[in-house]
Amino acid sequence: MPPGGYFGKALIVDLSTGSGCAAAIEDQVLRSYIGGAGLGTWLMHQYCPAGVEPLDPQAPLMFVFSPLVGTPLTTSAKFAVVAKSPLTGRLTDALASSHFAIAGKLTGHDAIVLRGACDEPSVLVIDRGDIHIEPAHDLWGLPAAEAEARLREQKGPAYRVAAIGPAGERGVRYATISHDGRHAGRGGLGAVMGSKLCKAILVRPGTKVASADPAAVLKAAKDLRTRSFGAATAKYRELGTMANLLAFNAISTLPTRNFSAARFDDAPKLGAEEIADLKQIARNSCASCSIGCEHIYRGPDGKKTRMEYENVFALGPLCGVSDADAVIAASSRCDELGIDTISTGGTIAWAMECVEKGLIDAPWLRFGDADALLRAIEEIGAREGLGDLLANGSRAASEEIGKGSDKFAAHVKGLELPGYEPRTLQAMALGLAVNARGADHNRSGAYEADLSGAHDRLHGGEPHVAGAIETENRAAIMDSLILCKFLRGVFAEPYPEWANLLSTVTGWDVDADELAITARRIVLAKRLFNLREGWTRDEDWLPDRFLSESLELESGRTATLTPSRLEAMIDSYYVGRGLDPAGVPNRKTVSELELQSLMDSEPIGAEVG
Amino acid sequence: MLEAAAIVLAGGRSSRMGSPKAALDWHGSTLLRRVTGIVARSVDGPVIVVSAPGQALPALDGAVEIVTDEREGRGPLQGIAAGLAAVGDRAPVAYVSSTDVPLLHPAFVGAILQALGDDVDVVLPEVGGYRQPLSAAYRVDLLGTIDDLIAADRMRPAFLFERSRVLHLTEPDLLKIGALNRLDPGLRSVSNLNEPADYERAHALPAPQIVVERFGPLARAGSGPRRQTVQAWSLGEAAVAIDLALDEHVVAALNGDKITRDPHVPLVSGDTLAFMVADAGG
Repeated sequence: MPPGGYFGKALIVDLSTGSGCAAAIEDQVLRSYIGGAGLGTWLMHQYCPAGVEPLDPQAPLMFVFSPLVGTPLTTSAKFAVVAKSPLTGRLTDALASSHFAIAGKLTGHDAIVLRGACDEPSVLVIDRGDIHIEPAHDLWGLPAAEAEARLREQKGPAYRVAAIGPAGERGVRYATISHDGRHAGRGGLGAVMGSKLCKAILVRPGTKVASADPAAVLKAAKDLRTRSFGAATAKYRELGTMANLLAFNAISTLPTRNFSAARFDDAPKLGAEEIADLKQIARNSCASCSIGCEHIYRGPDGKKTRMEYENVFALGPLCGVSDADAVIAASSRCDELGIDTISTGGTIAWAMECVEKGLIDAPWLRFGDADALLRAIEEIGAREGLGDLLANGSRAASEEIGKGSDKFAAHVKGLELPGYEPRTLQAMALGLAVNARGADHNRSGAYEADLSGAHDRLHGGEPHVAGAIETENRAAIMDSLILCKFLRGVFAEPYPEWANLLSTVTGWDVDADELAITARRIVLAKRLFNLREGWTRDEDWLPDRFLSESLELESGRTATLTPSRLEAMIDSYYVGRGLDPAGVPNRKTVSELELQSLMDSEPIGAEVG
Repeated sequence: MLEAAAIVLAGGRSSRMGSPKAALDWHGSTLLRRVTGIVARSVDGPVIVVSAPGQALPALDGAVEIVTDEREGRGPLQGIAAGLAAVGDRAPVAYVSSTDVPLLHPAFVGAILQALGDDVDVVLPEVGGYRQPLSAAYRVDLLGTIDDLIAADRMRPAFLFERSRVLHLTEPDLLKIGALNRLDPGLRSVSNLNEPADYERAHALPAPQIVVERFGPLARAGSGPRRQTVQAWSLGEAAVAIDLALDEHVVAALNGDKITRDPHVPLVSGDTLAFMVADAGG
């Protein structure tokens, strides 16, 4: 019997043959990596051939569930999508939410691993115990949401669908996979799925999963739900993450014009406080969620679009665009094409600066030009014109353009920076530099330490390192349980409370100390995967712009992040994580976190198809 | 922000005031908390309070360092020496303040420190016909000279000024400095409080005008205007003025910079305070 909340097995699908088989996952593995991003990382160690190209058919693509999925615990209906990123060449894990998580898990598996590639554009159907592949030429080229709607219309509403848009089909290296309008957005997972000629995966639930103590789970769920209505989640309910924009502008943390500034004079034109009453038409939530963070805006063409801070920052201030309708339209078009808005905006902003500096001959692409933004998005989605270059992300594009354009290509490990200015958030600067996924605000929430006021956010040092490590650890657990991070503020004592939830569902006697170890293990398991794939210390770094240009704050203070300060923080981070100076886990750490098996493991069944 | 330290002398006897000045109430905070908070805004080096042996001090920000002047009662030069010794090699210059200047403005501290060029050892303001050695900037490497003076029992600051390069700044000189002219035109930064009547007069002054902004859910309908001007001596008073509870879900950014929810953070005219939800990010 597997532990409560688990099936104790993964479904391994070979897309080249349409066959699948169940692979057992030992209890000890489940307890050590929990689920979601953690379990996905373990599975990548097992199933990803070393050195495989991310878009090679041999590269696996995984949909990973968690023990809490299917319970009444609020925000638990989430799943992780994990693969080797075509944007970074390193591990990427992105989360998405809602009914696909529940239905996918209730196919009877803790994870679905796709290997190989279809012979023609197809969809994968996992219908209870049956697995088969169906041609899908008629869906190829459709936006994901449209493909999803058609498939559910054809197959029935019991099916839940994760699909890619046209950008995934065309190998845009930051294409997304989406379900019900919510994207597993970062790192180009949609391109991986597209490379397998798999337009969509359909799942229909066919079984049930029991918690170890259903009554206790129900009680905990009621308590958590009540707490989820409190002040800690008010921001998400009332304005959503768009509430960040004007606040970040006020504290010089809003990346503007490709990170050349941290304040955008026209920010009020885009702030939720200003435009929500005019343009917001609805609020929505994922399945099993009592927060309801989604704020739906109506664009100029009448299309409804979920608006988030990251969309608005990346397609607005980062590109110098202040027209709210244009930003909503750009966001909507990114959704239709199936591309990550952060990498889209980041890459376009880099290109705008290249044009400004005379490095790219595209005079139409100017900061602040909303039409240019929309044209660039179209070209990226179609991989036409300049879009073919930009579809590879700012790192690859800057390598091709050269002429020093890499110095202002705002990425880490190839992943474009989110909307957090590292010079004025120096714990976050470290978090962005060292994270396994690249420049990322979901796996490293170090900005929380900066914005707590507990230390001077402009002078990175030891407290910033401690903050970066702790927030990264907490994210590792939340992304593995999985619980939505918007819930994080309701946990006064996170580790004991999470341990209690996990124990109640699984029947394990997990305590806070064990969970703290698990967090560290998961963080380093990701690092070990990257090491296996050729990672070196120089990848834990920030682009030149952040280390050579200062920012002036309204207070008169100057925000400067020197290379020596960043290096000192990284050194200290390595010590805190139990790594040697090269960034490799030392023997003591490997032993304490029981990581040796990952270092020894040979990927299973390297050849498929 | 200047590469400088700040030293606040708190060890005086307060004999004319009748009670220790450091702990005197300042609109819900204390004089010493206010003055240390203001000087901290202008320097990026340490903020050091020099106290007398056994002196009880009011609560201070955790970053403030406290040193004890073991040879109390020997005048300001002794306190300055104790402060400069505590600065050590952490900053080349220090602004030295008394405790009893609640109207001190960071623009004044900044102006005095910025006037300390390579060819100057002391920047000494002269306001109201008096030299202001406890509203002045000193080179930290004057410590040896001061120690020599103390050893020779030459305890008046005037003896130090005889042996150092002093830049005297008169009122007209000071008011030529744009920021100071705008933010502290009366040069009240040097107004010290010696007697209860001084304190009562100063305490009765209207609080400085502060621009307060709210963001996110704090700016939603029914919560008041997004941007307004209030009068407040401290962060806590500003929050009260807009009926906002400073709980764990709220933080404030002062002039777009320091983030805090400490109600004792002192405010001065020209400040902007941005209240936002603490659950930032997403």
